[in-house]
Amino acid sequence: MDAVIKTTDLHKSFGHVKALDGLDLEVREGEIHGFLGPNGAGKSTTLRILLGLARASSGSASLLGRDPWTDAVELHRRIASVPGDVSIWPNLSGGEAIDLVSRLRGGSDDAAYRERKRHLCELFDFDPTKKGRAYSKGNRQKVALIAALVTPAEVYLLDEPTSGLDPLMESVFTREIRRLARENGVTVLLSSHILSEVEQLADRVSIIRSGRIVDGGTLDSLRHLTRTEISFWQDSVDPTSLNALSQVHDLTVAEGRIKFSADSDRVHEVLPLLGSLGVKGLLVTPPSLEELFLRHYGDHVTPAAPEPADDGAPHRRRHRSAARTGA
Amino acid sequence: MSTLWILYRQRLRRDRLQLAVWVLSIGVLGLFSVSAIAKTFGDEASRAQVLQLATATPAILVLRGLARGPALDSFTFFEIYAFLALLAGLMNTFMAVRHTRAEEESGRAELVAATGAGRWSPLAATVLHGLVADALVSVAVALGFIAGGLDPAGSFVAGLATGAAGFAFLGVGLLAGQFFSTSRAANGIAAALVMLAYLLRGYGDATGTVSADGMTVTAAWPSWLSPTGWGQQTFAYTGNRLWPLLLPVGLAAACIGVVVLIMARRDVGASVLAGRAGRPDARASLRGTFALAFRLQQGTIVGWCLGGLATGLITGSLGSAIQSTLSSNASITDALRAMVEAQGTSMTQLLVAALFEIAGVLAAACGVQAVLRMRQEEAAGTAEFVLSEPVGRARWLGSFVGLGAISVVLVMGFTALGAWVSLVASGDTSTAVGDVWQTALAQLPAALIYLALPAAVFVVWPRATIPAGWALLGLGVVLGIYGGMLGFDEKIRDISPFTHTPVVTSTGTDWSGGFWMLAVAAVLALVSLALMRRREIGTA
Repeated sequence: MDAVIKTTDLHKSFGHVKALDGLDLEVREGEIHGFLGPNGAGKSTTLRILLGLARASSGSASLLGRDPWTDAVELHRRIASVPGDVSIWPNLSGGEAIDLVSRLRGGSDDAAYRERKRHLCELFDFDPTKKGRAYSKGNRQKVALIAALVTPAEVYLLDEPTSGLDPLMESVFTREIRRLARENGVTVLLSSHILSEVEQLADRVSIIRSGRIVDGGTLDSLRHLTRTEISFWQDSVDPTSLNALSQVHDLTVAEGRIKFSADSDRVHEVLPLLGSLGVKGLLVTPPSLEELFLRHYGDHVTPAAPEPADDGAPHRRRHRSAARTGA
Repeated sequence: MSTLWILYRQRLRRDRLQLAVWVLSIGVLGLFSVSAIAKTFGDEASRAQVLQLATATPAILVLRGLARGPALDSFTFFEIYAFLALLAGLMNTFMAVRHTRAEEESGRAELVAATGAGRWSPLAATVLHGLVADALVSVAVALGFIAGGLDPAGSFVAGLATGAAGFAFLGVGLLAGQFFSTSRAANGIAAALVMLAYLLRGYGDATGTVSADGMTVTAAWPSWLSPTGWGQQTFAYTGNRLWPLLLPVGLAAACIGVVVLIMARRDVGASVLAGRAGRPDARASLRGTFALAFRLQQGTIVGWCLGGLATGLITGSLGSAIQSTLSSNASITDALRAMVEAQGTSMTQLLVAALFEIAGVLAAACGVQAVLRMRQEEAAGTAEFVLSEPVGRARWLGSFVGLGAISVVLVMGFTALGAWVSLVASGDTSTAVGDVWQTALAQLPAALIYLALPAAVFVVWPRATIPAGWALLGLGVVLGIYGGMLGFDEKIRDISPFTHTPVVTSTGTDWSGGFWMLAVAAVLALVSLALMRRREIGTA
């Protein structure tokens, strides 16, 4: 498996602000790669460099084996992208904008294209006849999504592609990306700040914070890093038996509810006991990205507990040591 | 009442720098013109001579004003008032649209309308803002003239005439904002109406009745259709009449009344002329970056071309007006004809040259807008959308600059067409008729500089593109076209491209200035294209 996207020690500064601070990212052919990080971490900057819209201050980036800055035009023929902040022309209709972008990419206007466009408009419940200025944020996002999906590409660079979409449309998007990956074997780099969205799609994940990759690997390898919040009504339940379990952490009783967290990959081991206690009003909250950051990295990006070696481990370790000295 | 005060303060705060620049420039321009006139035409005899020449030459009257005697103060008012009123008008229309339609377009108006301010306080605050601004303009003009040593009472009349004309255009701008759903369209039409008012007044003055001594002119009826013309009717310094100013104030009130009627019936964000629904599929012609640039600019190009056509038609119809003036005033005509012919130029050529200079500015403005559009595309983020596709940065830049060049040629072409048609229709058979095409051609190099210069700014310092684009054009106009009148040294005036525009005469034309400017424009454009390959695309 070759790396379709590879950046090495990528730096980008805007004046005094370091947007990227030694970013090493590798996306392999045919995978859906989640690119996770909070706002302002450098996700959009990375994607803009990969699109040749911005130039790296130092370090190298390659896309399909070529330089995204010098070979931008040739590369764009093989790439589809959704920008992080979608804006469309106020006086062009949504349908016109989609057609224009597709033609710029060299797509033809044949019946197959028109059928794909009609189909996508229907899937996303999108009215292509309105003028750009009349669209809501979600609808502008749909223009960019449809334009990206309607013409075939080898690599998809998607910057928070579902922002502004309702949950129904999010699932349409997820389905379409899965279908592309399955049928055409495309490579997708999907940036997001929502863990659950990435969880549904990604084969592997890289987590970016303050311009560098702080963790990465398969989702399973990351899951142990997170803890799931579990709570239920106190009633007359005696929590001491729970406290004895090694999987249970930070047990508290407040506002009539018992709350604790459990290692996400071991939640099932706690459930039998909860069942025998007959708890009511059970809430199981999966870990959010924010939690993952707070719990495992804090403000200083401290190293996480050692873990069994997997394919993501080597570059992860390198990053942690870099982070420790750099931050 | 309290929301009105808050909104007024917000407007003042937002415009504080812009407003100060407008007001000071208008006042200082007044002061400059007095001192320049005092220096160039120091004694009354020389001013009387100039005035005689001017009243016999409608071309001069179009760009100046209504002659009311050779005294320094009335002569200054004749020279500069129409231009000051033009500036005040533009200040007001932009202000009106900025605080109404632009706010609705951006959605901010909705935010405000949802509070206790409702629909009416923002409008009232904008009117108040305009009133205060126009009062400041009046004071600035009056103080500028007084500082130049002119009669204080007349100076205040002149100031009020400027402010009142400006206020009329505040109403016009507000009304335009009701009709169009975009601030771009509203600004365009309102600014065009300001230009139209200037030209109507020019037409009325040029076709007016000249007194026997050639010292005063009574304007013809077209001047009475223009707020700028109404301001001239105050006869500042010679008559000091204030009643004509009821007309611009009345026009503003009428416009605001209609605005209130429309706003009482429409939704926030809607407009009288509703945007049409779009096409589900693009036309086959919407392919590539040039087609996109054209699609984005087509409305603007049509507008400027119509402006050019109107300028051309006015030029031509003035030609026939001159013929009648010449025949009715034989003594002046002979002397004048001798003077003009000594320069190897016919009267019609003189007129065409003067008015095509204005058309050259229109064409340059059209070119500037094509380049500014590029920056707007970048700031809005749509440029990023296009450049994420297989489109080279240089090709993208080239499309907009190329379109700008074509639109410059189109605007001048329509100007020449208008002049040619109306000259032919008026029965003119002199060589001047054919010369309009050459004169139009002569304006192109200067206009093309205004295409290449902002393009270079866009590549090197993107954020400055829009202010620099207009400021450079404004500077060129002030130095090149009004520089002599304002008393600037020739070396300074020569900075402006417009001073190097070839002058077409029947005895031969020196085209070297034009070729030099073409070369400069070409080099600037090529450098921009080369540097664009190395430039990042961003919204900053």
